[in-house]
This record gives sequence, C-alpha cells and structure tokens, in this order.
Amino acid sequence: MNTLELIQQLSAAVGPSGREAAVSDVLRPLWEPWSDELRTDAMGNLIALQRGNGAEPRPALMSAAHMDEIALIVTGIEKGFLHVHRIGGTDCRALLGLEVTVHGQEDLPGIIGTRPPHVLSADERGRIVPWEKLFVDVGLPHAEVVARVPIGAPVSIQRPLIRLQNDLVAGKALDNRASVAALTLALQQLRRREHAWDFYAVATVQEEVGAKGALTSAFGLNPTLAIALDVTFGKQADDNGGGTFPLDKGPTIGIGPNFHPQLVQRLRDVAKSEEIPTALEPLPGHSGTDAWSIQTAREGIPCGLLGIPLRYMHQPVETLALRDVERTARLLAAFTASLEADYRPRWEDEQ
Amino acid sequence: MDLELLTQLTQAFGPPGYEEEIRAVIREVVTPLADSVWVDPLGSLVALKRGTGGGKKTVLAAHMDEIGVMVTYVDEKGYLRFTRMGGISPLMHIGGRVRFADGTVGVISVERREDSSKIPALEQLYIDVGASSREDAPVKVGDPAVFMRPLVAQGRRLISKTLDDRVGCYVLIETLRRLGPTPDDLYFLFSVQEEVTLSGARTSAYKIDPDMALAVDVTMTGDTPKALPMAVEMGKGPAIKVQDSGMIAHPAVRDLLIAAAERVGIPYQREILLGGSTDAAAMQLVRGGVPSGCVSIPCRYVHSPSEMVDVTDVEQTVALLSAALAPA
Repeated sequence: MNTLELIQQLSAAVGPSGREAAVSDVLRPLWEPWSDELRTDAMGNLIALQRGNGAEPRPALMSAAHMDEIALIVTGIEKGFLHVHRIGGTDCRALLGLEVTVHGQEDLPGIIGTRPPHVLSADERGRIVPWEKLFVDVGLPHAEVVARVPIGAPVSIQRPLIRLQNDLVAGKALDNRASVAALTLALQQLRRREHAWDFYAVATVQEEVGAKGALTSAFGLNPTLAIALDVTFGKQADDNGGGTFPLDKGPTIGIGPNFHPQLVQRLRDVAKSEEIPTALEPLPGHSGTDAWSIQTAREGIPCGLLGIPLRYMHQPVETLALRDVERTARLLAAFTASLEADYRPRWEDEQ
Repeated sequence: MDLELLTQLTQAFGPPGYEEEIRAVIREVVTPLADSVWVDPLGSLVALKRGTGGGKKTVLAAHMDEIGVMVTYVDEKGYLRFTRMGGISPLMHIGGRVRFADGTVGVISVERREDSSKIPALEQLYIDVGASSREDAPVKVGDPAVFMRPLVAQGRRLISKTLDDRVGCYVLIETLRRLGPTPDDLYFLFSVQEEVTLSGARTSAYKIDPDMALAVDVTMTGDTPKALPMAVEMGKGPAIKVQDSGMIAHPAVRDLLIAAAERVGIPYQREILLGGSTDAAAMQLVRGGVPSGCVSIPCRYVHSPSEMVDVTDVEQTVALLSAALAPA
C-alpha cells in the first residue's frame, strides 16, 4: 500500500471523539504485522509495542497520534430535522451543504442545509448561520426520526479524499489521520532497523475534546520519553503571516516549554543527518496537543512534537503534502533508532 | 532581609521551560541546607528537609519561571516579532528591554499606528536588537527572552522585575534556613512552567505524593488608584488564600495557617483572588487529591517589569510558614 492509499483509507474511517473503534478496526490489520504486542486499552487507545534489542529493563519511547476527528452530535429533533452541535472544534462556517452520516440505530445518510438566500434579510445574508439555525435532514418524517435517531447520536462528515497537483491531497479528518499514517509508516520502517529502545505506537482517542486518551495512555505506559505527532497550520493565501509553515517543506519540530530542549536538539540533529527538511515551530506554552497531556502524566515525561503542515484546519478540505507525511515517518523512525540504550535527557546543570 | 540573594534571584534568567540559570542559583544556595536535592524530569528543583518522625510529607512550592517572550519571526532587516510566554500585556512593555539567554539585549517598540489612542496588539510590537539584517541578528526563531529591570530597595518597599515568583523562592529559601526540626518531611519545590501550564508543580507533586501542599506566590492588591476591589493591601501582612480562580483552598490547610498566624501574632489577610491562580491548583488534583493551600505575598503591578512588595510582608511570610510547619 502506498502513502496515498494509506491516507485515503484512514481519512475515510469514521471516528468522532469518543467513538473511535472504527478507526482502530482499520488500523489493527495495518499495525499487526509490525508489532510484538497489540492491544486496546480501557479508554480505546490502540497501543502497539515493537520491542527493542537493548538489555532489560529497556527504556521506552512512546509516539502518539490522535485518531479521533471533529464531528457533530444530535442535540434535538424539530419537525423531523436534527439540531446538532459540535464535538471538538468543528467550525460552523464550514458546514452548509455538507453530506454527513448520522450514527443512530443504524447509519443514515444526511445533509446539512439552511434557509435559501432569497428569503433572508440583508442583515442575515451577511452573517454566519448560527448553530441553532443549522439542521441535518435525513429525509424521514418526524416520528420515524425520533424512533431511529437517539439524542446524542454522533454525526460524521463525509468527504472523499481528492488529489491536488504536486502530490497534495485534500479531505476530511487529515487532522490527525495524516499523523496516524506517519506513525504506521514509522512502525514499518522501524521493523527493518536496529533499535535498542522499546517503541510504543499509540493511536489516541479524544484529543479534540482535551487530549484525554494521551493522558491515560501515557500514565499507563509510563514511557521514558515521548514524541507526539499532530498537524500544524500550513501557509495559505489569507494567513496573517506568523505561525504558519509551507507545505511540502518537511515537518515542524515544536520548541518551547512543552518540550525537553535536548529532545528538540536531537530531533534537529537526526533530521539534519537524514537530510530531512524541518522548521522550528515556537510554541510558548500549552501546545494544545497530546504532547501536553503526556508531558504532565505522572511525574513528568520529557516530550517532543512533530507537526505536519496542513491548510484549512477543521474544515472538510484539510490539505497537505504526502511527502511531509513520509518525512515525518522517516524522522520518527530514525530518531527512535538513534536512541542509545543508556541515553537519558538531562538538564544542562545536572551533575 | 538578604537583599543580595533576592537580587540574584530576581535577575537570573528563567522563562517557562528555560529555567537552567535560576535553577543553578537556587541549587547552590539550598544544597548545604537540605538533606537531599534533585531535579525532576521537567526541570523542577526539589530540596528535601527530613522531619523528626511520623513521615508525613508536606510540599512548599514556589515557581522559578518568569513571564517572557519567544521570537517567532526575524524579518529581513533584523527586527524580531514575538509571542508571549505567560500573561504579558503590550501596555506594560513598550520602551522596555528584554534579555536573551546569551546576554543579547533588545528594545521593545511598536509600529506606527493609525489610531494611537488604542492599545496596540502584541502583533504590532517588535524587538530591536540593533541588527542590520536577518543574517546579522544574533537570535533566531524559538529563542526566549525575559524583561530587564534591576531590584531597588526604597524604604520598606522592594521594586523589581520577576518578584513573581522569585520572592516566593526567597521565602522558601529563608524558611529552609531558619527552620528548626519539624515533624513532617518538607519538600521545598522550586517549580517550572507555572506561568504557562502549572506542569512543573503537577508532575513533581505526583512524584512526592504529599499529605499536604502549599504554594507560596505573589497575589494582587486592591490598594492602588481605581483598582479592582480586593481586600488585600501591600504592607498589611501575608495573605492566606481562601479562593482564587483555580482553586478553593482546603479549609483545614487554610485554618492551620490562620491558627499559626494568630498563635505567634502575625498580621494576616484573607485572600480571594478573582483572576489568577497558583501551583496549588495543580497540586491539589494529583493522584487521589492533596489538601492544598497558599500563602501569598501582596504585590502591586504583577506581570509588569516593576513589581512592588513590602519587606515586612516578606519577612512575616517566612515567620508564618515557620510557625505553621514547626509548631512549638
């Protein structure tokens, strides 16, 4: 399977936060051939272990990519139409005219519509349609909708992946299936490389609602070090300049208090020796990713972050470069293989 | 009052996540005073003073980190754009200076604006290190910097950058210096990253697994012109936390502090802080929960480069902690 096919398969999988089982079902056969152990924990995180060849007790590197996606949830039913609200940071500006799947008693196809422009006042026409004026239509009469769609049913967004020029792809849920794809490729590559450390690949749940799966899986695994993978803001036409990164120029390496300075340096060194282009991404506080949950698990776990630049985050046309996914995988595998059996990050003033 | 120590503490470099310099200063002072000293995985420094028995564990936490800025962009002429590390306001910093870890100094200024009556956004500010081009700039994207301002002692008042929370670190060190034998094992925790996420105190408290936790930090005051009404004044004694926006102090911890203050005759103030919190909020929630409280040093102009505290408040905070931890 090439990277495009992998991303296609992962983007199509349906995994609103809190309901990620269908994504792990897709991942399990992809990870199984490259894992010494594979299991799902109590929260639903999928955890693969690839043992290192160092002496026991071996240090462990955990690498986390969240597999949940932003979505909607049914909050009410009015005259047969569904009221919905967000799960995670879903953007109500980007919902009109979308095709969705309502996960009720059974999956029902639906669409999101609102009143036509003809009947709107001039004032309404210039404004964003608020949540309470957005409806999902599944085409059924009221009584049948009530019978088949329970309040609280998740609603996922449908959008097949398309390929743009220059090996860019656009689609839904690339935040963060792109990183899950990179983690999958890294598992494969690492199988063919010597590595002293144990490597845990974790597809985490519930990142979009507060990085919860990373918190509990980091607590459970208690790794020596961790690298989180997530997407970051890609350069686009109307961005405000700072804090965005060009597509197809390699992953970003997070720098700031969320990350151990020695891991940041080591990631940069490995990238340089592997000829992988990267950019430094200044993140002055809470990174808003799994990296923060992991860093603050137990007594603290030194952490790093790789970011795949992506345009139009949280819209169903998230766009990225396939090569950046591959570069992220290569950097993660090479970083893991570079860890000497006795390596531990130390603070500069530690004796 | 050991002004030499407080000067060293306030002037050492230590934005969140980059606490090496301040940690080295504190480590040198506390090592001869403690039974053991170590650095935790995220960089917090812990000094343990063993108790005389019982084995109960109490944490006293003051954060080493300070607010600062981080470079996000260097333009072709060598000017730097930056983002905040912790809560900084553009209003406080135009015309001020920053210092980078390697000693490079920069001036904070602001673009020309159409409407100069409005407070500029942080994005309109820049740092000038005097470079003539991007290549000539001695700093790069991702480099952190802190504000510059010396310590001045004027009568009973102290004015300096970073009294938040180096004065708390000072109080911990002075308490460690003066305390006689105590029943509890005392963990003096000099935490990292309080200004951004409280992650240092959270993770170190997890490791220590304490029976009680106290933060020592600064708090705001209601005693300046048109201040938000707040029943804490500078110079009226340490403030014992009742509540802030991140935590309700455990009533037993609060009352232990109040009883100690009344027993030895230290004036104190009951503190309710509407905007802000401390390491205690994070320590309270580790593992199965830790009874937590906070002693605050009243401080004017918190998060400006010229914070102001009262010497007597500082000394009485040390006395209050000593009385609470070593009951006669």
